[in-house]
Amino acid sequence: MSSTREIRRRIKSVDNTRQITRTMEMVATAKIRKARDRIESARPYAMKMLEVLAKVAANVEGELHPLLAVREPAKRTVIITITTDRGLCGAANANILRRTEHLVAAERAAGADVDIFAVGKKAINYFRYISYDLLDERRDISDNPKFSDAKSIAVILIDMYTKAAIDKVVLIFNHFKSAMEQKPTEIVFLPIKRDAVEEDDAPGKTGEYTFEPSDKEVLDRLLPTYIEALVYRAMLESAASEHGARRTAMKAATDNAGEMISILTRSFNRARQAAITQEIAEIVGGTEALAK
Amino acid sequence: MSARKLYCEVITPEKILYKGDVDMVIAPGTVGELGILPLHMPLVTTLKIGELRLKHDNGKQDYIAIDSGYLEVMEDKVTVLADAAEYASKMDIAKLNQIKSDIKAGLASIPKNSEELFEATAELERITNRLTIAERRK
Repeated sequence: MSSTREIRRRIKSVDNTRQITRTMEMVATAKIRKARDRIESARPYAMKMLEVLAKVAANVEGELHPLLAVREPAKRTVIITITTDRGLCGAANANILRRTEHLVAAERAAGADVDIFAVGKKAINYFRYISYDLLDERRDISDNPKFSDAKSIAVILIDMYTKAAIDKVVLIFNHFKSAMEQKPTEIVFLPIKRDAVEEDDAPGKTGEYTFEPSDKEVLDRLLPTYIEALVYRAMLESAASEHGARRTAMKAATDNAGEMISILTRSFNRARQAAITQEIAEIVGGTEALAK
Repeated sequence: MSARKLYCEVITPEKILYKGDVDMVIAPGTVGELGILPLHMPLVTTLKIGELRLKHDNGKQDYIAIDSGYLEVMEDKVTVLADAAEYASKMDIAKLNQIKSDIKAGLASIPKNSEELFEATAELERITNRLTIAERRK
């Protein structure tokens, strides 16, 4: 049986850890709300933009926009993997990375070259570790992504796609379903699917609209913005998921620490009791020996 | 002032900056500045970096700096979608000046014809726009 002092030290150390995990849990809980608000406030823009896009797309005929051009089978694919910058958030990043690896394997099997665009330190470190070539990387944005961050990513890919340097772009990120549930999700966002921008109930040719400078030029600018908004949305979702996953993980850790403390306390008490009993036995033995 | 109002929304990816009734919207269209009054015909246009003005019925105006975007007019409803937007009244001139000189200082060290130079120039243009508006409307 270990000494009481050693047990007491362990209890203290576990208790310290529990304090940290509990704090992290609370911080994450607060951040989930903020992150969710951000997703909410990005929604009006995205909705409105789709609406305008649908109107414009219905109006423009003839030649396809380069971002709508489908090149199959894809010769060169880019996967944008969005992970977090910091750890301690359960399996959130592991799921994303595994998903990415599967997709890489699938694309390669289909005969495509695959490049990775890593967002978040976890993705960057992982792909470096297994020595993948990264097309590009972004870090220090997972906590509070800005639209300009999303834009800087989108611009690169739009440029490459327009020049036909790449044939397909897939986005992998954690979809924030609720604070308790995050789901790794894949979105093929280039080429833009035509039905994504043309709603079923689109009013056909909207002749009554005037487009300035021209319908085609408006479309030329709207489609990239659509991509930017999509990337931005994925980054927001991923940020909210990070906090959700961290809260779950930290709650589990706090609970486990509590359990561990109660087990340790029990053995601490047993050890203390044993020490007392032994002392009494020794005293009794000692007095008896003296009395003889 | 007219009884007919425009319902105007200014939306950025990060938030809704303004929504409510206005008398007139003046926006920096890519092909020229445009003023929109009630009963305007349906229109979709692209906007460039510049100043968006919202005229209210008490004669007051809101001045908003926008970093390019789109504008849609439909049945007395004006929607402005901007990459970023900021009220002139909320801008910090000293800070903007600081950012501007930082960018200018950095500009020289960026190689010509590069992506970064393009980005930095665009950023400079956006900041300058804000600064101009902030100075003019303070």
